[in-house]
Amino acid sequence: MSSDQLTALLNSALTECLAGEVPGEQVMQLERLSGGANNETWRLMWGSTPLILRRRPFSADSIDQLEGNILGLSLVDEAAVIQLVTSTSVPVPEIHAVFDASHPIGEAFVMGFIPGESIPQKWLVDDAYEVSRSRLAFQCGEALGRIHRVDCSLLPANIGPSTLDKRFVAAQKRLHAYGDISPVMQFGLNWLIDHAPNEAPCVLLHGDFRTGNLLVDEQGLAGVLDWELTHQGPAEEDLGYLCANVWRFGQLHKPVGGFGEYDELIAGYASTAGWTPELSTIRYWEIFAALSWGLVCQTMGALWHSGNGDVERAAVARRRSEAELDILLLIEEWKNA
Amino acid sequence: MSHDSEQRTASDVTVSELLKAVKGFLMDSALPALSGRDQFNARVAANVLGIIEREQQLGPELTALDAAAAQQWLPGEAEPSTAPQQLSRALAAREINTDSHFFDYLKKRQLLVAAINNPRYASRKVAEEKWRDES
Repeated sequence: MSSDQLTALLNSALTECLAGEVPGEQVMQLERLSGGANNETWRLMWGSTPLILRRRPFSADSIDQLEGNILGLSLVDEAAVIQLVTSTSVPVPEIHAVFDASHPIGEAFVMGFIPGESIPQKWLVDDAYEVSRSRLAFQCGEALGRIHRVDCSLLPANIGPSTLDKRFVAAQKRLHAYGDISPVMQFGLNWLIDHAPNEAPCVLLHGDFRTGNLLVDEQGLAGVLDWELTHQGPAEEDLGYLCANVWRFGQLHKPVGGFGEYDELIAGYASTAGWTPELSTIRYWEIFAALSWGLVCQTMGALWHSGNGDVERAAVARRRSEAELDILLLIEEWKNA
Repeated sequence: MSHDSEQRTASDVTVSELLKAVKGFLMDSALPALSGRDQFNARVAANVLGIIEREQQLGPELTALDAAAAQQWLPGEAEPSTAPQQLSRALAAREINTDSHFFDYLKKRQLLVAAINNPRYASRKVAEEKWRDES
């Protein structure tokens, strides 16, 4: 859809949705933001208020037959989760309008714009964020502890509890469906099955809590974005995910997201969750996160093959090799530990 | 016409040179003329050309490595063109003893795959330092 078409559709839809809530008459400066191989993100002005539109540009039908949660929630459910988390002190954007797949705009929602820096290559290295970085691992632990205490009975019905066994079955189905092209991915899945921790209670997980999906300002954590992979699972999953190599953006010496240390993350978490997770279980989930990233890359390739997406999506498929490399490095480290 | 340019007939422009030419067009002409998503994608496209070039160079070595592994771990069954698939499926069926030799093969394979797809990925430097001397 062109940006002019989208502007016209938004003008008519938002006039109604935002009446009495956000002053303005029409969409201005609609601009597609870079990045985001799955959902589109657009920035726009409504009057003098900056807003963000999240929109799914394709039908998920082509991949619906594959189980699992790789592609993520509908945007309608994602918006519902963000609204639910608003009741905690975790910084999330305000949801202003939600459209389901039958709307001419397509499946989408409009939310408030939180000021802050999201681009890791800036805030991970820039001196202006030095103080912020020193606090961030603790703050991320605090935020995750709060998210994990959200009452799961209030979640949309699609976000149910799961078990590791089900996740393994889903991952195996995907590897088969994508043609069994990677012995390393299969080796990684086998290893994860053989070293699985005991089943733990399910909590609400962000599911994609990592550098790149966090907004950071001079004070530290300013916003938690991209809730499309939210699901239920064991708490350590979110913690390990944040520490995965692929989300350290080159700052490998800082295990928590490329900016912090494990003990800071764990201390922050304990302060709001009321219990202290084991580092070894967090490290297990780092390997799981590597496999998950590989599966996301393969899903992008499958989507592109089905005619959905541009050159970025085709290229992301090749980033599977990052996941493969990390799977082997981490398993070797585990063996030598 | 100089001797040099006589040699450089159209058919003498190698695939590498063509890739270089397209990359130059994308980065020097297309990129500055585009904006937003299209500009981003032009940069992605230029990177993709790098993958193509590196796969041209390293692909045969990877294919040979996989074929040899299939011969070793799936003797008699191996069909060289689908070696990665056969190895993956045998792993899924737990038919391969994943001892340290097999792990060494995976590491060697992965150094090649990473060098093709994303040589700048930070973990690759770590892996290169750890594994390069082992083989």
